[in-house]
Amino acid sequence: MQQFRKLYILLVDSDPGACYRIQQALGEGFVLRNATSLAEAKQCLADSLPDMLISEVRIGQESGLELCRFVRLTPSLRFLPVMLLTSHATLQDKVAGFDAGADDYVVKPYDARHLVARIRLLSRMKRFEQNPD
Amino acid sequence: MKKVLVIDDNPTIVELIKYAVNLQGAYNVVVAYDGVQGLERVYAEQPDCVIIDVKMPRMDGYQLVRCLRGDARTMNIPLIILSAMTREQDQMTGLLSGVDDYLTKPFKPSALNAAIERVLRLTPADRQRRMDHLVQTQAERE
Repeated sequence: MQQFRKLYILLVDSDPGACYRIQQALGEGFVLRNATSLAEAKQCLADSLPDMLISEVRIGQESGLELCRFVRLTPSLRFLPVMLLTSHATLQDKVAGFDAGADDYVVKPYDARHLVARIRLLSRMKRFEQNPD
Repeated sequence: MKKVLVIDDNPTIVELIKYAVNLQGAYNVVVAYDGVQGLERVYAEQPDCVIIDVKMPRMDGYQLVRCLRGDARTMNIPLIILSAMTREQDQMTGLLSGVDDYLTKPFKPSALNAAIERVLRLTPADRQRRMDHLVQTQAERE
């Protein structure tokens, strides 16, 4: 089995149970920091740049889509890979997610092995897009 | 009869693909002309295979592939990208997004039909193994 660099993930979800389940699913190949509100997420992004942002669509009374738009409009964050990991599963939800700037959209419940692979591949894809050589 | 959904914003290309696929005579072909309409058609038609262009209005082909692969209801539908984008980078983006095969335009009808037959035989386990292999070969190593 290849050894992979640990990816630093900022996970934005207001549900502690969901955060715990995601942490358990990802295992030891990731370093997770959790934010439970938009303000906290923005502060985390200002503190240090993660390898990827994973967010719910609904963060308490706030919107993960607003966070996506903030990321895409902030020059220093523009290329940050963003995955929406959410229980919002309608076609309209998905279209709105990509319109807001998400790179990937994964619907809960998810298979842990599948989720880990998607995170690794999305990270690779974004780096490849920025630097194809 | 297996159902094939063709998603391409160019009606001429759609007709060419329909012609090519119908040469085999084994498929019922349904069509959509942009990514969002394609997603609607996937839910409504539950196709056995989807042929997807990349450059499309509203939602591009890569986004559509990720959208389908990210939902347990659609994650195992056979997906083929058929695109005029021929750079290695484009093909790699397609594969990393989760497509089963990436063909380039102009295409040979025989190659398209062979690809359809090939992806129809893939099992969920084949797909997961392929994804794991991509992770092993493409993701960032220490």
